[in-house]
Amino acid sequence: MPEKIILTLLGLFLVVGALTVVIARRPATNAIGFLAVLLAVAGLFALLNQSFLFLAQILVSVGAVVVLTLIVILTVNLKEEQFPKERFKGVWIVGASVLTAPFGWLLYKTLVSVANAFPKTQKGFGSAEAVGKSLFTDWVLPFEILSLLLLAAMVGAIIIGKKEQAYDIES
Amino acid sequence: MSTLSIVVTLATIVLAALLALLMIPVLVWLERRVCGLIQDRLGPNRTNLFGFRLGGVVQSFADVIKLVVKEEYYPSHIGKGRWLFVLAPMITFASALLAFMVIPFADDLVLYGERMKIQALPVEYGILWYLAIGSVGVIGMVFGGWMSHNKYSLLGALRSASQMVSYELALGLGVISMILTYGTIDFNAMVHWQSGTVLGFLPAWGALVQPLAAIVVIVALFVETNRAPFSVAEGESEIVAGFMTEYTAMKFAMYFMGEYVAMNTASAVIVTMFFGGYQLPWLSTETLTAHFSAVAWTIVVALPLFVWFFIRWMKKNNTVRPTVSTDWGRHFETKVLSVVLIAMTVVIDLILIYISTLPEGSAATTVAVTLLQIAVFVMKLMAFNIFFIVVRWTLPRFRYDQVQTLGWRYLLPLSLLNIFVTAIVVVGVLS
Repeated sequence: MPEKIILTLLGLFLVVGALTVVIARRPATNAIGFLAVLLAVAGLFALLNQSFLFLAQILVSVGAVVVLTLIVILTVNLKEEQFPKERFKGVWIVGASVLTAPFGWLLYKTLVSVANAFPKTQKGFGSAEAVGKSLFTDWVLPFEILSLLLLAAMVGAIIIGKKEQAYDIES
Repeated sequence: MSTLSIVVTLATIVLAALLALLMIPVLVWLERRVCGLIQDRLGPNRTNLFGFRLGGVVQSFADVIKLVVKEEYYPSHIGKGRWLFVLAPMITFASALLAFMVIPFADDLVLYGERMKIQALPVEYGILWYLAIGSVGVIGMVFGGWMSHNKYSLLGALRSASQMVSYELALGLGVISMILTYGTIDFNAMVHWQSGTVLGFLPAWGALVQPLAAIVVIVALFVETNRAPFSVAEGESEIVAGFMTEYTAMKFAMYFMGEYVAMNTASAVIVTMFFGGYQLPWLSTETLTAHFSAVAWTIVVALPLFVWFFIRWMKKNNTVRPTVSTDWGRHFETKVLSVVLIAMTVVIDLILIYISTLPEGSAATTVAVTLLQIAVFVMKLMAFNIFFIVVRWTLPRFRYDQVQTLGWRYLLPLSLLNIFVTAIVVVGVLS
């Protein structure tokens, strides 16, 4: 029973946070909503006894992504009058809800049908040790390829960031 | 869960909360007194309660009263978002406090066949928890600086964020080399690893096994706490007070206390990872339990000597200048404190003598060993807190570009090199 209460609370947090990110007008409130969403997801991982995912979620998403997002919002520093004018806002909301409703129903049906079809986890599943072992034995090739992908992304970011300087050298 | 384990768990949580929160006034006082010592003056020593000054600790409580009754001021643009403005320092404070909760204060207590962790949060991924929760604190600073709508605050927030992000790399890599050495991410297992010796006679402390990683991690932890010489985020000579410029009264105090709790946590992590945690050098928990009566008799002899010297020091120093005729109750304070100290010594000695007559390995011995380890841990913690304070008042504040150069050009390559060397030694030589 306590799990269900915690799950409900975390779900509530998640939904309210996500809605805040979309609806709130002040960037500060948006950012807090984003933080709440990420923390709630971390809490869901903790509830499932996935200690490594829980810590990675806090370490990467909360510690790095939120901080970087904040810095971006902070540097751009949008004023409310700079927001684009949203005419037909109500029409858009109603139309989008009607369009996505069937997919929601599909999602609900799928989740209900597979809810009890998952295999039971063993003891220690999801701890840092178990994740590390499976990552470096069964999944070592995808893992290393992923690191190449990250390297490519980093090089790309540096090149985009240095664009103006590169032009200077050429001219 | 038996009653015993519930009692031990509750006691541990209370101990952790006390160690983190009650340390704040002591650290504030120590900061000012050590600063005074370094600058050849006295620092706060006059405030008293009924004549008891306790060297001036009472000053911190006076400060608390001042901060609580101070005018609450909000910048005019805050308006409805007031709760967000107040939330920012709370995030910083809470993350520093939570990160402290995974530090083991003593070895696992084994009583009547039950194994209980002396750790407020009994988790097995201590160092990851510290890295994860510790990195949340910067969000509070960035939020606060941003919502103040003040150029100085904004600059301070940006500085603290960029500084944290750059040093988190060096910190993480330094910690990785320590994880390679210890083969674990559990703080308690790390301390166990450090109970042996290296080269036959030195205690196997992390700082002696991995000096380079120790330097890198300690410097990075200084940055994590945002203290001088890495306090560009609140450089008062350039940007007033950085991210906390617009914060007043208890909101400011929240940031202030958060800094001290973070410093305390960083000291605890340094002690646990590099200086043997709760262990006395050369004496592992098993040795202590097996030869407890010898240890107890050493303490029985050493404690009165130490107290005697302390009382003599207090009698000599707890006076006003000789030219002043009134002593404002200082002799009275010295007398009362001497009596209290002597009574405490007698009680502790009697208890220790009683325990040393009991057979080895009894429940009382185990509990006594745990208490001794907690005392050792607190002593090491205080030593490192004082180290933090001395460094702050010795080194001038680094310029912003110096901070970044140190992080990216020196610490990051050094920690990478250290990982390679460690990996080669651990995988190639030892296995």
